[in-house]
Amino acid sequence: MATDSPSTTSPSTPSPSTISPSTTQVIRQASIVGLDLGLDLGLDLGLARESGLEDAASDERVNVEGTADVLIKAGRIEAIAPTLTDLPADTQIINGRGQFLGPGLIDLYSQSGQPGHESRETYESLSRAAAAGGFTRVGLLPNTEPAVDSASVMAAIQRANSATRVSSAALAAHSAAPENRSQLLPWATITLGAQGKQLTELAELAAAGALGFTDGEPIVNRVLLRRLLEYMQPLKKPVALWPCDPNLAEAGVVREGPQALRLGLPGVSAIAETTALATLLECIAEIPAWVHVMRISTARGVALLRQAKAQGLPVSASVPWHHLVFDTQDLEGYDPSLRHSPPLGNPADRQALIAGVADGVIDAIAIDHSPYTYEEKTVAFDTAPPGAIGLELALPVLWQTFVSGAQSDTRLSPAQLWQALSAGPAQCLGLTPPRLAVGSPAELVLFDPNAEWSVLPENLRSLSSNTPWLNQTIKGKVSHIWTPTFLAD
Amino acid sequence: MTNLPWNRHHIISLADFIPAEYDSILQTALSFQGVLARRTKKVPTLQGQVVANLFFEPSTRTRSSFELAAKRLSADTLNFSPGSSSLTKGETILDTAKTYLAMGTDLMVIRHSGSGVPATIALEMDRLGVGVGVLNAGDGQHEHPSQALLDLLTLCNDLNPEQPSIEDLRGKKVAIVGDILHSRVARSNLWSLTACGAEVHLAAPPTLLPKAFLEAFSAPLITPTGQTIERKVFVHWQLLPALENADFVMALRLQKERMSGHLLPSLREYHQQFGITRDRLKHCAPNVKILHPGPTNRGVEITSDLMDDPKLSLVSKQVASGVAVRMALLYLMGGAKH
Repeated sequence: MATDSPSTTSPSTPSPSTISPSTTQVIRQASIVGLDLGLDLGLDLGLARESGLEDAASDERVNVEGTADVLIKAGRIEAIAPTLTDLPADTQIINGRGQFLGPGLIDLYSQSGQPGHESRETYESLSRAAAAGGFTRVGLLPNTEPAVDSASVMAAIQRANSATRVSSAALAAHSAAPENRSQLLPWATITLGAQGKQLTELAELAAAGALGFTDGEPIVNRVLLRRLLEYMQPLKKPVALWPCDPNLAEAGVVREGPQALRLGLPGVSAIAETTALATLLECIAEIPAWVHVMRISTARGVALLRQAKAQGLPVSASVPWHHLVFDTQDLEGYDPSLRHSPPLGNPADRQALIAGVADGVIDAIAIDHSPYTYEEKTVAFDTAPPGAIGLELALPVLWQTFVSGAQSDTRLSPAQLWQALSAGPAQCLGLTPPRLAVGSPAELVLFDPNAEWSVLPENLRSLSSNTPWLNQTIKGKVSHIWTPTFLAD
Repeated sequence: MTNLPWNRHHIISLADFIPAEYDSILQTALSFQGVLARRTKKVPTLQGQVVANLFFEPSTRTRSSFELAAKRLSADTLNFSPGSSSLTKGETILDTAKTYLAMGTDLMVIRHSGSGVPATIALEMDRLGVGVGVLNAGDGQHEHPSQALLDLLTLCNDLNPEQPSIEDLRGKKVAIVGDILHSRVARSNLWSLTACGAEVHLAAPPTLLPKAFLEAFSAPLITPTGQTIERKVFVHWQLLPALENADFVMALRLQKERMSGHLLPSLREYHQQFGITRDRLKHCAPNVKILHPGPTNRGVEITSDLMDDPKLSLVSKQVASGVAVRMALLYLMGGAKH
């Protein structure tokens, strides 16, 4: 397929073998996450946040318990009602009782091993892992080997997408139906080879369908940063930047503080993040480019963002999900899967990050899925490559931690969590958020918060199993996912 | 030596060691000091057991000390060092440990340049349920428990040569001077000395002694019986307040590579500001003694003549204590169960 050009690779043609236009399904009595109350209306977040399910329950389309029947026909949401009757005889009935139905989740940035490290993850395995975790679309970080710094490398991802097909098959391990796959959205690099030295052909990559631009690594050269922001203004694509000064981060592997000292691990000062963030915010104040701040990880960083947003700077931000769940106090066992970059925060950082998600200063929770093989990760903590897998674990663990469990002082409503994992990321990317509304494409997730499963390599679709939950049992599983084919731009 | 309080299978960190355990180690080490003073310096305690010294990070002194300790206990010893290893060929740290496990190793003595490696191997041994004990012989900048314990023996021997006891440490002032930030010796000593009731005064420039050390190491020790022991830690960015009436001064090795990270302007200035000299020792208690975990940069952290002054320096006693303490640890971890 060497002749493939972006214009011919998308949109992909739906394959009749996996999607039948006549398929009709009804999901019975699932709890509806936020319905479409504000979830897709960026400016009306307060409503969704405060109302949650209680307001949804006052909607005439749901029962007092906030449950409803949802009818899906030919890939669209046909009807939502407290109870649907007179359905066609061949309607597939899915029992949603005790489960939550919400719009599909969108991940801002995750790493594939392909190209370069296919033993860690391939497009195929990543796409299946994402779907298993409730993500209908995933932004793919471009700092692979080779990097996604040209339209031809990007076309390979777009081709992989054409293998992505819709199906509403249950995700049961022994399902005979074809496995669901999430749509992979390629970020392109800012600089050639993600080396931070020379700009890629930004306009061509933008036209070829890049989701946006990021190196997945800090941009150190401030002249390059300034020119990038200037040049990007007419291109209508987001630039995702990780505020980090690698010189200040030195060889640190954990967040500086008492726990780092006790553990004897070299620390990274918060100023490695905050000085880079302050620089970036000052640049945006002068050059109103479309910037997304990725991997915010410190309390002071959240404070700077809050201030910037209050001043009206056009900036959005995301936090990697591990940073909401873990902090330096969890490092006693030196689990290399808890080595992240930026490092996990101190307890006060984690609390500030959670508060930032709750009040919307942080627009989205990113998964930042980083697969590494067993032999790559089974080394000393300080030499382990940073990152962990997360696509299949984030929703259950975040739900357990912030929605149903009492493991945190700050609780999130189902609608708040969904906002940060679905509409929030979509808005950061300028994508139309998936909606749970009549007439909308069926881009949906049915989540069973009580299903228990063991995190074992054989139960993970990801090829890697570098996660702190390995060999543990967790609660919560996506039971069904609907990933539309016509999402390709 | 049969009814000492001891139920640890591994020695990774001294953070949660309680006074009774330090006392067990001290009393056991004192008995072995008796053995080492005899004509026949060997006991059959660990006969038939295999002690593997897995020294991923090169070390001659500590490894020799552990090897001698194991041999004095009649154990068979295996030595692993990175020069002869396949670590660079994709073998993981757990693969190495499992190889030595397969050879029938009973105790693993582990040194690694990365903090946490002994802990990781100990967890894996527990997961496998093989009953192998792991002794941390120095991991990264984390801990070096056997060094702190031999320091403890050295201090107690000095305070009360007739009947050494950890009780003698109560209220004593110990100054630890130098590159605290990068020192695993300082960390282990902080835990052991404060648990035994000594005041620990740290002294270094702020770049080598972040303020957070205070918070990091002064959380009270809660014993299993619910007793609370306050830890007395002090942070000084100047030398003299730390030396004031100090009973012991421990100087730490200053690595020359600290210059490249802008942590210090020069070794010369460091010596001017924090070097231990005869003159400065006048601020200490009259019977002050000096310790150094070695190897020493003579003329940097301590002047050469102090190192060699037998009335002041406990350095050679530290080395001698090392074998007895390591025998005690191997005995308590392995030999005591037979």
